[in-house]
Amino acid sequence: MIRFLKYMKGYLRVRVWGFSPERFMNLCSNKGILLWDIVREGDVYYMNITLKGFWELRPIVKKTGTRVAILERYGLPFFLPKLLKRKMFVAGLFLTIAFWLVSSLFIWDIKLNGNYQITEDVFRSFLKQNQVRIGMRQDELDIEELEKQIRRQFPQITWASARLEGTRLLIDIKENDAPLTTDKPETTSGTDLVAEYDGRIVSIIVRNGVPKVGIDDMVEKGAILVEGKVPVYNEDTTLREYQYVDADADILLEHGMDFTASLPLNHTEKKYTGREKSSHYIKLGDRSWSLPQDRPFLVYDSVIRESRPLMLERLSVPAFWGTVTYREYQNVEYKYTEEEAKAHLNQKLMDFLAELEEKGVQIIEKDVRIERNADVWVLTGEFLVQEPVGKSTETERIEAGETEGNG
Amino acid sequence: MRKNIDRIQRNEERKESLIDSLRLPKDICMGAMKVTMTGNREAWIENYRGLLEYTERQILLQGRTCQVCFEGTRLSIDYYTNEDMKISGCISCIRYI
Repeated sequence: MIRFLKYMKGYLRVRVWGFSPERFMNLCSNKGILLWDIVREGDVYYMNITLKGFWELRPIVKKTGTRVAILERYGLPFFLPKLLKRKMFVAGLFLTIAFWLVSSLFIWDIKLNGNYQITEDVFRSFLKQNQVRIGMRQDELDIEELEKQIRRQFPQITWASARLEGTRLLIDIKENDAPLTTDKPETTSGTDLVAEYDGRIVSIIVRNGVPKVGIDDMVEKGAILVEGKVPVYNEDTTLREYQYVDADADILLEHGMDFTASLPLNHTEKKYTGREKSSHYIKLGDRSWSLPQDRPFLVYDSVIRESRPLMLERLSVPAFWGTVTYREYQNVEYKYTEEEAKAHLNQKLMDFLAELEEKGVQIIEKDVRIERNADVWVLTGEFLVQEPVGKSTETERIEAGETEGNG
Repeated sequence: MRKNIDRIQRNEERKESLIDSLRLPKDICMGAMKVTMTGNREAWIENYRGLLEYTERQILLQGRTCQVCFEGTRLSIDYYTNEDMKISGCISCIRYI
């Protein structure tokens, strides 16, 4: 720090000789002139003195009968005029600084965080519509207005925040996790709930519509379970009209279900020989360069690892380097043992059951067998399940005139 | 003459005991020179009047009550201000004159 201050103020290396250099030093220190690195060689003293102190030396020199000669000049006050002589250099320096300052007024990168459903492309085109683009001036950007626009344009975004970090625009959004509830139109032409399988009704709870089946009824596929046509009666129990509603009910249907899975006895597997070759490449934008290479192995697969230096990532320069590793392998024929085959098939069954469970299907009975045929393992399963059913279909309308006629 | 020296010495002793009992800093009140040394390579000196002689082998300093002579080889003054100074080099002897 002290050295920096000395440099800023400027100092000189001087040679002092004459009658009484010691007195010269005492007077300097009395006047508050800093001297340092004082060395004596023969009758001559060499020392450093501040530039300000040097201007005050004249009376001291006269008084002590010494002589002072400047050997070297150090510091900014001497460096600057020298620098100013090199016009092109100074111009370049100023141009650089100006370029920095000017380019820091623009937005050079836009980063989007927290998007799951909205793709980056969609968001980019939205930003383009709103005149937010890479290379725009920062003061043209109204961040609050942009946040408002985001929320207005994308109803699934519940929270949006945009901020500038240096020359980078960071947009953080939070999407609504719950599915969007779109308002259904008030007037509906009515829908029925229809059975999707043949089976037996186990339970039925109707919220809207007219139930057409009861518990323990056997139904066929396509049969109407709940009708969306609600009759309205007159006081004399004659039918006046139908109101059409969207039928809504929780219905459990018990029905049989089959599942089969098969596994061929033989299969091929990759067996890595352990021999690997790798090559490197550099990518700039969409173009990439690598050393020309022959086909590394007869049969191989490759793994590509790509990275870019941290500094270039910060600057958003699209430059990458990467490594391709080729791994040789041989196709080897294997025959499943019974345990392996069973494990594989059981896994398939488990996946199937998990899928059922996700749909809310309850399994009442199950019967699973694994058998070996000529050249395949076969798993067959029969299940008795209880499954929520009800597919919405359009209600068959009865013409208004006809209804009136009936009424 | 002998009596006079005795009296001065007695005065000094009295002054010292007074400063001791009042817990005042000795270097300021008695005008004593303060020398801090790191090994025999560097010495920081405070509370001196001026520089009397400076050669490569000897630096003679004037204090308020006495003179101090640093002897050694390749002696140089790293900095020199009104308050303190730093001597570096190979110091072999410090003498109070």
